[in-house]
Amino acid sequence: MIRADRLTKRFGPIAAVQDLSFEVPPGEILGFLGPNGAGKSTTLRILSGYWPPTSGRASIDGFDLVRASLAARRRLGYLPENFAAPPELRVQEYLRFRAGLKGLGRGRRARVEEVLEQLGLGPRRRQPVGALSKGFRQRLGLADALLAKPPALLLDEPLSGLDPLQRLEFRAFLREQARQGTAILFSSHVLPEVEDLADRVLVLHRGRMRALGPPGELATRLPGLERLALRPGARPAEARALLAADPGVATLEESEGEWILRLRPGTRPEELLQRLAAAGCAPAEFRRLRPRLEELFREALASGEEEA
Amino acid sequence: MRAFLALLRREVFGLAISPFVWFLLGLWYLLNALFLLQDLARPAVQNDLDLLPMMTFGSSGILVWLLLPATPPLLTLRLLAEEQRLGTLESLLTAPIGDLAIVLAKYLAVCLYFLVFWSGVLGMFLLLAAEGAPLDPARVLGGFTGALGLSFLFLASGLWTSSWGGNLLFAAGAGAGLNYALLVLPVLFRNEEGLLGDAARAMDLPHMLDSSFASGIVDTYALLYLASLSALFLFLTWIRLVSRRWVP
Repeated sequence: MIRADRLTKRFGPIAAVQDLSFEVPPGEILGFLGPNGAGKSTTLRILSGYWPPTSGRASIDGFDLVRASLAARRRLGYLPENFAAPPELRVQEYLRFRAGLKGLGRGRRARVEEVLEQLGLGPRRRQPVGALSKGFRQRLGLADALLAKPPALLLDEPLSGLDPLQRLEFRAFLREQARQGTAILFSSHVLPEVEDLADRVLVLHRGRMRALGPPGELATRLPGLERLALRPGARPAEARALLAADPGVATLEESEGEWILRLRPGTRPEELLQRLAAAGCAPAEFRRLRPRLEELFREALASGEEEA
Repeated sequence: MRAFLALLRREVFGLAISPFVWFLLGLWYLLNALFLLQDLARPAVQNDLDLLPMMTFGSSGILVWLLLPATPPLLTLRLLAEEQRLGTLESLLTAPIGDLAIVLAKYLAVCLYFLVFWSGVLGMFLLLAAEGAPLDPARVLGGFTGALGLSFLFLASGLWTSSWGGNLLFAAGAGAGLNYALLVLPVLFRNEEGLLGDAARAMDLPHMLDSSFASGIVDTYALLYLASLSALFLFLTWIRLVSRRWVP
């Protein structure tokens, strides 16, 4: 379980993270989404024990990252944004060193072999780290994070620099880890990947949480993203005029014979449809449009700008 | 403890496989052998071989003024400055090992490795003794102890300057500069009157080498001074690491 409770991190007058609270239970993948400077890496660094928060608490498996930092760090695997390892060490040597550092005892060598095979690094075990491609370096970083079989994984931009095939493999691997009960928190700029991989998404902007929830449900938490697609039925001209004048409709666009309505916050689609039906302009067909994560993201950031 | 030993092993191994360190070791042996030959050729030493440890390990030797202050920072620069330059420090600091254990493991590793540097010098004296040279073992071992203590101090100061950032040149240069300051400043002020003079005399490293170690006497004050100053630099290195947590 990864837990952040009212985390705040200040660097002088600048608040990099403000009042951030969330939990990642075992088996869940939480995607951390936000533009550069949103506070993603700062939060991950706090959760990794690298920095303490200015206020608030963070814990891994119940161990506070400030008061019981070593115990907490023993229970997490962390892949920093720009993972680096000593270039002169061979892959196997590096992992054995890290296994020792994480307190692995007799089973250390066997565990290293296990993660080497799991991440497809077996054939490269004798290769110097400095000679690895970006993709294999990321695998090595993930192998390092997984060595101690931690119940929590923190991955900062784990998919950056990977080719599409490697991304697919990485995603499958992370899903498998989550299936085995690992709590995973990862950050990414690649929205479709967050949407595809994460069970829940946390949108962060200017250090504040803008939204948190499953990608499909975020629309209900972010006002102004409710959209309806209507296929006009009887009396389309009147229906269109009615909708254009309705205070609950923000925009009306036509697309392939359909009307795409964007509703204002607080507008209930059922009531709008009832108004159309009462005027005798009931649509032939209607459906709710699930907002894409990209739209949610844009909206969340825009609402942040307005507040600022 | 397991994490400490793992880091210690990795640091010793890292030093052992570094071509730069091998180059440094070769240069160290070569220069020490040349200095020793030069000292042996001096008429005073030929008349009285007991002067050799003083020439080698005392304040008149080139070893103390050239090799000792300059070599340790070239070894310690890889310990923290290179970790920062490569970006591997974050992974290390988020591993389940305490900051103090990191400092001590790195320091112990470089001290152990520096014994390899010194073993060659000691070997040269053993070779002379094996050839029948009438060397005073107390002076040789005393001088060797003093030089070793001074090296450990310079390794500690080098570790501290290595923690300042990812610039290797700066880490080595600042380390050497600091070591020269520790050697030279007390010499410059030791003849002053009052508190300044007293302080300079209490911290006079070349004098400690001459009057105690290289004379075959192990002075507890000098040993304690070297140990305390080394501990101070290790403490400062630890402070440097934990200061990342102090940003307001």
